[in-house]
Amino acid sequence: MKDDLNIVGKRVVRSDSLAKVTGRARYTADLKFPNMLAAKVLRSPFPHARILGIDLTRALKVPGVKAAISGFDTYGVKWGVFRYTQDHSMLPTDKVRYVGEDVAAVAAVDEETAMEALSYIKVDYELLSAVFDPVESMSEGAPQIHEAYKNNINIHVHIDVGEVDKAMKDAYLVREDTFKAAGEAYAMMEPYAVVASYANGFLDLWMPNAGPHVRAKALSNLLKMPLNKVRVRHINSGGAFGDRSEVSPGDLVASLLSIKAGKPVKLVLSREENATSTRQVHDLIATVKTGMKKSGVIVAKDYRVIYDGGAYSSTGPIATSIPFYVYEECYRFPNVRYNGYRVFTNKCIRGMYGCHGRAFLAGNEAQMDLMARELGMDPVEIRLKNGLTSGEMTATQSRISSCGLAQTITTASKKTDFKKRWVKPEKGKGIGMGCIAIMCGFPMGFRSGSSCYVKMNDDGQATLVTGLVDNGQGNESMVIQVASEILGIPMEDINLINADTETTNLDPGAYSQAAAFVGANAVRIACENARKRIVSIAAEKLGVEEGDIVLKNRLAFSGKTPDKKMPISWVIREAFFRGDPIVATGTYFPNIDFEREWVSRPWGQMAGTFSFGTSVAEVSIDNETGKITVPHFTAAHDCGRPINPMVVEGQMEGSIQQAGIATIMEENLWNGGFLLNPDLLEYKVPLACDMPDIETIIVSSMDPEGPFGAKEGGLTIRMNAYSAIACAVANATGNLFTELPLTPDRVLNILERKKVAKK
Amino acid sequence: MKRIKVSFSVNGEKVTFQVKPYETLLETLRERLDLIGSKEACGMGACGACTVNVDGIPLRSCLVLTPEVNGAAITTVEGLAKDGKLHPLQEAFMEKGAVQCGFCTSGMIMTAKALLDRNANPTKKEVIKAMSSNICRCTGYKKIIEAVEDAAARK
Amino acid sequence: MILPKFDYKKAEDIASAIALYESSKGQARYLAGGTDLIPLVKLRLSTPAAIIDLKGIKQLKTILSEGRRLRIGANVTLFELKNHAMVKEYFPALYESLDATSCETLQMRGTIGGNLLQNTRCLLYNKSLAWRKARGFCYKMGGETCNVVPKAKACFSNYCSDNALSLLSLSASVKIAGPHGERKIKLEKIFSGDGRNPFTLEPGEILTEIHIPLKRSRGAYEKLRVRNSIDYPLLGVAVSVNNKKGRVCVGGIGPAPLIYDLKDVEGASVKEPAQKARQEAKPVSNTTLSPAYRKKMVDVLTQRAIKRAIKEAK
Repeated sequence: MKDDLNIVGKRVVRSDSLAKVTGRARYTADLKFPNMLAAKVLRSPFPHARILGIDLTRALKVPGVKAAISGFDTYGVKWGVFRYTQDHSMLPTDKVRYVGEDVAAVAAVDEETAMEALSYIKVDYELLSAVFDPVESMSEGAPQIHEAYKNNINIHVHIDVGEVDKAMKDAYLVREDTFKAAGEAYAMMEPYAVVASYANGFLDLWMPNAGPHVRAKALSNLLKMPLNKVRVRHINSGGAFGDRSEVSPGDLVASLLSIKAGKPVKLVLSREENATSTRQVHDLIATVKTGMKKSGVIVAKDYRVIYDGGAYSSTGPIATSIPFYVYEECYRFPNVRYNGYRVFTNKCIRGMYGCHGRAFLAGNEAQMDLMARELGMDPVEIRLKNGLTSGEMTATQSRISSCGLAQTITTASKKTDFKKRWVKPEKGKGIGMGCIAIMCGFPMGFRSGSSCYVKMNDDGQATLVTGLVDNGQGNESMVIQVASEILGIPMEDINLINADTETTNLDPGAYSQAAAFVGANAVRIACENARKRIVSIAAEKLGVEEGDIVLKNRLAFSGKTPDKKMPISWVIREAFFRGDPIVATGTYFPNIDFEREWVSRPWGQMAGTFSFGTSVAEVSIDNETGKITVPHFTAAHDCGRPINPMVVEGQMEGSIQQAGIATIMEENLWNGGFLLNPDLLEYKVPLACDMPDIETIIVSSMDPEGPFGAKEGGLTIRMNAYSAIACAVANATGNLFTELPLTPDRVLNILERKKVAKK
Repeated sequence: MKRIKVSFSVNGEKVTFQVKPYETLLETLRERLDLIGSKEACGMGACGACTVNVDGIPLRSCLVLTPEVNGAAITTVEGLAKDGKLHPLQEAFMEKGAVQCGFCTSGMIMTAKALLDRNANPTKKEVIKAMSSNICRCTGYKKIIEAVEDAAARK
Repeated sequence: MILPKFDYKKAEDIASAIALYESSKGQARYLAGGTDLIPLVKLRLSTPAAIIDLKGIKQLKTILSEGRRLRIGANVTLFELKNHAMVKEYFPALYESLDATSCETLQMRGTIGGNLLQNTRCLLYNKSLAWRKARGFCYKMGGETCNVVPKAKACFSNYCSDNALSLLSLSASVKIAGPHGERKIKLEKIFSGDGRNPFTLEPGEILTEIHIPLKRSRGAYEKLRVRNSIDYPLLGVAVSVNNKKGRVCVGGIGPAPLIYDLKDVEGASVKEPAQKARQEAKPVSNTTLSPAYRKKMVDVLTQRAIKRAIKEAK
């Protein structure tokens, strides 16, 4: 691995930022086509009701209405990410299962007309009793939400490694605690939008998405159209954060309307609809039991976690597993049992999130701190003692190839004088640490790999074609940077065609933490293959050895005698002359155990590599109001080599906002099945004035497989920033939290509980 | 409903439209003028993604009726670059890495512009206060604040 | 979200505004900054046939210092008022409440008159028509029930003006013009105490001016909120003290502010008004943070505000 890099590893300006600062970047709602119609969706007013009939006739008579549809216009196909989770028809005909569920829709010449027409759709319902609490939902006699899932248990992930009961019995110290976390909103700035355009047998679609190929596949199934006729196109995305990976009801709605009307249809959800009717983040209840030796070594973990899954499976098996895996990929568990239940309730569908597993992760970490204190140790010591290192296997048999966990722990703790401050916190102050690992990719069958096609153009520029997706995190710029490094041409000479299902190949998408490790690796290999061709012709023309050729600044030259040089464009033209233009492909398929399955076989290699990170939060508590302020936050991240350190820092800083400060303010509030804060006023996305001083530290361990040594960048902090704040509050109050987020009212309860205990 | 004749200038160009009395400035900019840089993220004035400058004041264009801006001078993010040269704020946002998904970016830049127009040398505290009018979900604001400070220093 | 149909009229002066109102058969709403009104109309919580824009009325935009009082036009923006030299010097509680209102951008649009006459809020009220229809209409929407407190006889929506509290603490009064002429009343008289219709203004009346007695005061404003910008108060407490007398105003809970006199600042008991306010405040689960917590905070923030005001007075 060479270290004299020109572009990779540098703080370069992102390729997409010019369009974004000038207001010219196009998002779905910005699209306009001739004869385009506006769509509106009629949604369920009930959390649980049988559909007796839907009458669209009067709506269709409203002047300006061009199409109206309901579930009765579909093929009745149900989608599921897995064969065993096919329960989501997107437009139901049997019953509605949450308030806000898509029931019917119209397309009209404008939004006003479409809204008016909705009021003429008649739906007959028979009300059913509903259930909103997952524990209630699991108990006997609760309303059955899907016939196929007994006791509303959607997914049960059971993992059992070693001899947990025996190890617990032999442990020196055992502790069991239960933690609850409220559900959250993704609150991406862009409300969901879809444009569907059906013409000549082809359906073209634009929507913010984290994986166009899997989206097209779902729609091809739902619409019974051949996959090549469903084309999901590239468009900018205003944030995803783990959501928007999967087909959305709106996709089907807009598609059906466009097919019926024979015109392009645009559906833009309101902020409220985006919150009530796309995806939400799981609420959870985690019981964590830990056994330790006197030395602080963890000997056993026993988990029971209940996830409120809302009304449909969605990515259920993954969501039920991920919190456990990111934890077991970080720490050594010789004996571990995990029972994860994803339970249906009459609430909106729940999906994966950048900080999925808040109660589980923060609970584990805070409990570990308490146990450390009991054993006369501190959080740093105990994490270093139990943290995995390079070459080790996780409990479920994933090998960790490169691991900078210890480095992130020691760097972050030294920077913050952690040990001293944790042992004896000043009054009203606390410090906390959260660690985590992230798998860079996971088993997705034949979709686990990525490939890239690169063509060298006659003026010396290159065009990259890849399925890679960017939801705002900078993936597009990243692969252009990689190509620029290898091909020796500046970033502005490289065009990118990506995330378009017609022209690009499969890619794991932007939701499996694999864009750098898998997507950029495919681009690297393709460009290296193209480079070989360039080098070979240049060497021949310049009369030097191939190994002596350097590509830089649009030139091919001899490293030994730099005067021997020629523009790369000449090399490319020469290739055209020879009737053999320079085109190349590259594929990267990670080393994953494909026998591994989330429910039926939860062991084997999970991903090609893993990233690591440590967050340290410092908090200050107003002991009269319980209000927390976070003066300082430090995050250390092993992302392998950062391809663009500025972008990785940006991911870390955003994580400190979205997962860190979220710990003290973000939660979905409910009134039965009604979401009380489906907006950006009462759902509290932290603001600039709520942010701490941030210090980000990148620990550049080099991954042997990653492109230029790179791994996933940023998500580890998103997964552990929550823990750091929660642990800091536990440190400050000297008392364990049980309910998250740590809003002032909950913090005051903790403080008062402590007072009572003292008396 | 009777349409209303409204004239105003957008990015230095005078325009006249017969608008719906209940049309928002955001709709007029996006639908009639194709100025799509201003985004509708909440539609309720809570987030600032639709911020434009009207007579030098930053306004949430989703809360403004177009008839209200009759005679006003409006600047949108599309009007910041002059003669092919980006505004210092645009340059600073790019170079400091203050842009991620980009959906809040126009509003952020327009809020910052109004700040720098009324206070050319703001303190960091003043920058944070002004920028706390807008929501960003990606960046943690650090690089946005740095970009605004940097742009102020460039001027 | 698109707006429902309505007509737009612009008034040149107060008389023409009232005339426009009368010609609309009571189906009009006055528009100032619009930061409260436009979201309400978008949500179809208000469906006027016409909107009468008051921003062209020059008289409503001035701040005049007239010997014994400061006269503030209702259309002065919160930002302009905050930056008026006399406000910080004479009325620190008002300065603090203005500074704590929403965010700078909305302070530049929102007017002081509009801020005072903002509608009361509730998590189950400020929602789209579809949401509210599904949940069922409550008292404030013309229904027969409260969706927050079942069987309650009243509406518990919260009055969330930060600045009404500081102005009340400063014993401000307001001038109101309407179809039946002009009147001047104490600010506290604008509140009906009924969340369904929280103000005593008659149809067609316009709040035109705010008058504050021009006496140098000391004061403080304490605001409970989750985020430090944009948010409405979950509880607000304003205290102003002048010449050994003071006033404590508590708001953000229920449809009207609570007002208490501090009779003797020197010997004032900080705890007494705080505890009284705590007793009388009736928070319910209609906003973020638990009602029990907000009730406790009435005590804490009231004491804090009084202490700060007294400390500064001494």
